[in-house]
Amino acid sequence: MPEDLAEVYRSTYRSLVRFLYRKVWDAERAEDLAQEAFARALVHKPENARGWLFVVAANMARDDARKAARERRHLTLLKSEPDAVHSDPEDRIDADAKRERVRTALDLLTPRDREALLLWDAGMSYDEIATQTGLARGAIGTTLARARRRLVEACDAGSEGQHVARG
Amino acid sequence: MQEVRGNMSHVDDGTLHAYLDGELALVERARLEAHVAECAACRSRLEEERALIARASGLLGLAQPPERAAPPLHELRRPSVVWRLRVPVAWAATVVLALGLGYYAGDRTSMSAAPEPVAMYSADSSAARDAQPNDRLGLATSPPRMFRTSPQSQAPAQARPLAAAERKQEERQPLVVVDGAPLASRLDTASVGASAANGVVAIRNRDTGAANVAPAPVPAADSASARPTARAALPQRALEEVTTSNAYVQRSDARVALVATQWPIIRRGPARQILGAEPMGVPGLAVRNIRRSPTGEVVLVEQAIDSVTVIQLFQERAENDQYASRTYSWSDSARPRQQAGGVQVRGGTAGTERLARFIGGVRVEIAGPLSADSLNRLLEQVKPIGP
Repeated sequence: MPEDLAEVYRSTYRSLVRFLYRKVWDAERAEDLAQEAFARALVHKPENARGWLFVVAANMARDDARKAARERRHLTLLKSEPDAVHSDPEDRIDADAKRERVRTALDLLTPRDREALLLWDAGMSYDEIATQTGLARGAIGTTLARARRRLVEACDAGSEGQHVARG
Repeated sequence: MQEVRGNMSHVDDGTLHAYLDGELALVERARLEAHVAECAACRSRLEEERALIARASGLLGLAQPPERAAPPLHELRRPSVVWRLRVPVAWAATVVLALGLGYYAGDRTSMSAAPEPVAMYSADSSAARDAQPNDRLGLATSPPRMFRTSPQSQAPAQARPLAAAERKQEERQPLVVVDGAPLASRLDTASVGASAANGVVAIRNRDTGAANVAPAPVPAADSASARPTARAALPQRALEEVTTSNAYVQRSDARVALVATQWPIIRRGPARQILGAEPMGVPGLAVRNIRRSPTGEVVLVEQAIDSVTVIQLFQERAENDQYASRTYSWSDSARPRQQAGGVQVRGGTAGTERLARFIGGVRVEIAGPLSADSLNRLLEQVKPIGP
């Protein structure tokens, strides 16, 4: 029996937006894509809506990234995301810089490691991540361990580089 | 499955992460715990990995999209797509449509000296000017004319008030949803729609019922990356939500949604796995969400007392306390957001001052915007919430 999509929407929408955001790096774009994924789910009525949504979303994000690379990259860079916590411009700049550092670090991960990490952070279980990525269930822990370590190392390296550059 | 051989061999990273993520099967979990209890090296590695997980999770938390409420699901229930335009693009597209229409109308005027299209255009442009704070969007007030319509493409006779039949047809046409912030107020007076099917652009003033239909090239919509879609009657809620895209406005009922949003929502199964028991709750209260901590060892059950009051029940295995040197406490992630959302948390820095109680093998802490007395009474009622 298909899960109640309204319930999935309520519990998964934000996670899906967050998952997509870390792929397209544009909050509104991420929301658009998440909403389209749900709109498609309403039509297709998949059995496992949650898993299906993340597969569809990942595909859309990939297509979108290709398109964005052609048309919109500069626009995305110009845009500053509003942030609920940081209203002070300095904080905002700081938050932007941190986000960019995380983004750069994520880009340094292998696609598989990154996918596993983003799916875990979106609330997926090891079983779900295994289904999603095609990895063995028993390999998820190792994959996540590696992804986390590389993310932290890359961020640390990035911030050191920044300090050096700033003098 | 990962290898955990009792006390004989050390534990690999993957197994440690699976353990810390609450994703290790019971047997393996027990074996690992037995080993860690005796092996100082693995114990310190466990703490290192715990710190690593917290660190990685914190870094990912820096790359969060701003919190905005989701539009109601039923608004997505439309044939193809709900495709929203960026506000500036929406505004630009509107201006382009209006100008294109005016340009076309101007052409018609010069050719046929018909007064209506000119009147129509000026009425609409003033409405748009009133409702659209273009200074905020930083757009030039007179964008270039981006297209020119072909005079032969449609009969000029349509430059007049929309006949009832046409209007009806237009309402059935897929329209471009242009739900940008400035549009929120503008939609009250005018609706803008473009149909890719026949290339007709209509700008209609609802107050007067005056309408104008003019041919326009579809690329106007395409170039603005809009997709034609059914125009759902956007309720105020959706429009309010979109107004946050430029200036972030915190919605009052979004407050509760802000609490601990770095904690992913999980289902009951994984929660049960983390706790080794059913998740706990106050009977009779609706469960809003079940979440887990980024490190995967704490389950958070959020229950609604009413539409704006949510209590939080933080739960973890009682035996987790033996690894007390937790480098990551939930209060780290939850507190700033709770402050931002105006939700009070008892206890300041450590999160340990919350009211807590053991039920079976589970330690439950309660937090919420209520008096300690009320929280205590609610805590007394807490019991496993059945499936």
